[in-house]
Amino acid sequence: MKTTTFACVLSAASLAAGMGHAAELGAVDKPIKLAINEWTGQHISTHIAGEMLKAAGYQVEYVTAGMMNQFQAIADGEIHATMEIWSSNVSDQYAEKITEGTIVELGDLELAAKEGIAYPAHVAELCPGLPAWEALKDCAPLFASAETLPAGRLVDYPADWGTPGADRMTGLALPFKAVPAGSEGALIAELRASTERKSPLLITFWQPHWAMSAYDVKFVDLPVGEEACFTDPAWGPNPDAVNDCDFAPSRIFKAAWSGTAETWPAAFEILSNYTLAVDDQQPMMGAIDVDGGEVTEVVATWMSANEDSWRPIVDAAIK
Amino acid sequence: MSNALAARGLGKGALAALIAGVVGAFCLLFEGLWPWLSSYPNDWVLPASDAVGTAVKSGLDYVKPAARVFSTLMAYPMTAANTVLAVLPWPLLIAATVALGWRLGGGKMAAMAAIGLGLVLASGYWQQGMNTLALVAVSVPLALLAGAMIGIFANEFPRFRAPVQALLDVMQTVPTFAYLTPLLVLFGFGPVVGLIASAIYAAPPMARNVLLGLQRVEAEVKEAGVMSGGTRMQQLFQVEIPAAKVQIMVGVNQCLMAALSMVIIAAVIGGFNDIGWEVLLTMRKAQFGPAMLAGSVIVIFAILIDRMSATLAQERRRLWDGRISLAILLLGLVVSLVFWRSLGDPDSYQLLDPVANGLDSWLTDFTRANAELLTSFKNGVMFYVLLPLRIGLDQAILPFTWGFQWTSGMSLGFYAVAALVALGLALRGQLTLGVVVLIAAGILETGVSQLPWPFVLIGIGTLSWVAGGYRLALLSVVLLSTILVSGLWDRALLSLYLSGAAVFACAVLGGGVGVLSAVSPMAWRLVRPICDMLQTIPLFVFLIPVLMVFQIGEFSAFLAIIAYAIVPMIRYTRQGLIATPDEMIEAATASGATRWQMMRDVRAPYAAPTILLGLNQTILYAFAMLVIAALIGTTGLGQSIYLALGQADVGLGISAGAAMAILALIADRIVQGFAEERKKALGL
Repeated sequence: MKTTTFACVLSAASLAAGMGHAAELGAVDKPIKLAINEWTGQHISTHIAGEMLKAAGYQVEYVTAGMMNQFQAIADGEIHATMEIWSSNVSDQYAEKITEGTIVELGDLELAAKEGIAYPAHVAELCPGLPAWEALKDCAPLFASAETLPAGRLVDYPADWGTPGADRMTGLALPFKAVPAGSEGALIAELRASTERKSPLLITFWQPHWAMSAYDVKFVDLPVGEEACFTDPAWGPNPDAVNDCDFAPSRIFKAAWSGTAETWPAAFEILSNYTLAVDDQQPMMGAIDVDGGEVTEVVATWMSANEDSWRPIVDAAIK
Repeated sequence: MSNALAARGLGKGALAALIAGVVGAFCLLFEGLWPWLSSYPNDWVLPASDAVGTAVKSGLDYVKPAARVFSTLMAYPMTAANTVLAVLPWPLLIAATVALGWRLGGGKMAAMAAIGLGLVLASGYWQQGMNTLALVAVSVPLALLAGAMIGIFANEFPRFRAPVQALLDVMQTVPTFAYLTPLLVLFGFGPVVGLIASAIYAAPPMARNVLLGLQRVEAEVKEAGVMSGGTRMQQLFQVEIPAAKVQIMVGVNQCLMAALSMVIIAAVIGGFNDIGWEVLLTMRKAQFGPAMLAGSVIVIFAILIDRMSATLAQERRRLWDGRISLAILLLGLVVSLVFWRSLGDPDSYQLLDPVANGLDSWLTDFTRANAELLTSFKNGVMFYVLLPLRIGLDQAILPFTWGFQWTSGMSLGFYAVAALVALGLALRGQLTLGVVVLIAAGILETGVSQLPWPFVLIGIGTLSWVAGGYRLALLSVVLLSTILVSGLWDRALLSLYLSGAAVFACAVLGGGVGVLSAVSPMAWRLVRPICDMLQTIPLFVFLIPVLMVFQIGEFSAFLAIIAYAIVPMIRYTRQGLIATPDEMIEAATASGATRWQMMRDVRAPYAAPTILLGLNQTILYAFAMLVIAALIGTTGLGQSIYLALGQADVGLGISAGAAMAILALIADRIVQGFAEERKKALGL
């Protein structure tokens, strides 16, 4: 975690000082292929990066690819870069390919993500102590379902994303049983049904996500985590267990095919220096998923309104 | 030995039931003493999935270069098909399809093509639809070629028929998700993987039909070929294959449908902006309406392709006036040229969006309005049916669920009642049924997911023995043992429980609907389009409404599996019941049978083999859906397969896929064994 912070500071500092040095454009006739994964936020991050590359004089192609399955393609050079990898949800294959040297990391996207135990706003009326986590101790029966009786039900991430929700419940000794959701669609369907019916729901969720605003999702306040929380049982409210605190912050980063730097040196620099803030991404997500806009149009509008924030990165690489 | 025993009044079935019952009772009695009886110890598990992973991976490395060349080669027809479909203006493509429709099936089929493709255009998914078609256009010839070669090979070398059949079974029962990761490593990223996956799944129906067709060629025809002195190749291609044409065309039709259904599954990988990807995106946002709309595009394609290719399989088909087809085509060309500039992007015609949104808000209103009722329905089924079945009465009956605690005294009472019933049955001469009642009581008390493994092995082994003799029994036990030692046993039992419960529900409900459809043509007219839709729409689409209404968990998975697997049960039950030969009906009518007697004593026994075949299909469908149901949070083998796909874990994916295929195969063989027996009994 520390090295990450250091790298962030470094890249930010180098940008601020205008230290990015001009690089060769490389193979401008060969299109750079960027991965389009399954979620809207990623479409935005990728399209902005793509437009920046186009502004630098490159050809860009967007290729649909499953988040989990894209790494083989990147390692083979069939896709050249991917813009939004969440450290909380990355397959072992990625680590393998990094060790092999066929994929290289491009640094942080600096999208400040937050994961946590969450609930739609109306649940606070049913369980008045929220958002304090202690309230969940007494409210648990309210969340119970046929599969979890007498414990409450926590809808956790799909099994292949790990079980952070279940770890919290054990760590904080809360009487909840975590049920893996199976897919993101299932999580959203739960949120939707709960909001429509005004029924209780406790769920493991993250932001930036369009559903945060669409279903007015709030996070439960958990004790702020420290390194010790994950290693030392004595730390935190529960003296007998680790994980009795909030989620470790997840890192969102970019990665590229190992040959990208050589084939398109300037593009490699642009993609390495490219960052995006939650405050920029989340409104665009709303414009697409809630208001029904097209990704390309929404991104184009943002690009023309925020030229100051991205143009310097492009210029530093090509001039 | 069985004959000797049967002579002493103990039938094969009763013997099998007795053996299973004794083993079960033994396990129950001694599980306290030897805990390894009830749950297979972890120390005995061989690290099979890791070994499989390593072996497959190193194997893949050898084949990889050749596979990559193949991939590069396949990319050409793929790009070509894609470009043609993307570049041609839609009026021309629609006109061409309508013209083909007219030629094959006259006005009715032409109208169907026009309306169907019109709807695709209006949905705004034209481009994605064309991409999907491009994939099918390349994968189907591949599957047809492979299937035909396998079929001919099996026909020419009868010694290899059994292994070839087994291979075809494996190709159809191992879930696609399980081998997507190895395919990805082999062939590289992109649509070629989807193409190969769908070809693997679509080739078996072709192979089976080619083999069946060639076997059914009449001996006189074959002899004529031999007499005219042609080489074997000439006989095959000039005499036998033309003679088997109709059956082969059935294969072509089935192959097309299978390829179309698999293309969607393969979209999970991405790389191709097709309908499957659209369905996945909308599914991620839990938008039922749009997902349904995107899914309907596939349904339309499937129905058009099915109906048009089905005419090819007709014995004496009539071709309609080709000049009218030409005229339609010409009209399309003229329209395309005249309006070339003003056609615009077909993706912008989103005329059906209001319908999709309406559907979506209807679902929302429905869940809101019926929340209480739906929850109590779900809880009822969970508390009184699914939970006891999974974890047994002793753990499922709690003050929270049934209002009281299940005690060991109650267990004893329960067993005593079961024993009395069994004794009563045995005294009336129905020993087998009596022992089966006892076994069922034991299973219900323990719960399927916690059954002792020796009992499951022996129980299924003896059942296989009754259905198909010693060979099948040996096969079942050996295959099940591989699941046991690979450490996937608990998950396999969970899968068995969930699909078992769903198959049972399908048999009861689907059988009922099937009978109703057989009796009343009105009901069938209503049921048939629903069956068509349930079978062709991408499976993912079912999940959203089920989830919205019943939330994540087993019950939703249970319903989703039923929705998909009930169709063959309905179809085959109806088919079997209405196919009773006329002379049997006449004879029964003449002897004064009432309608009910006719159903029970004439039609039902006659239909039994067909209904069993339907049950067999239902079982296979239920297993297939189990993987998809993992998306709504089940915990059996399906979840393992999905997890392996996410983690690119080749070993786990293949082991879990194999376990799934093993369960499906054993169930298939047992049911087919019983069906054969019934057929023989009926003298068919």
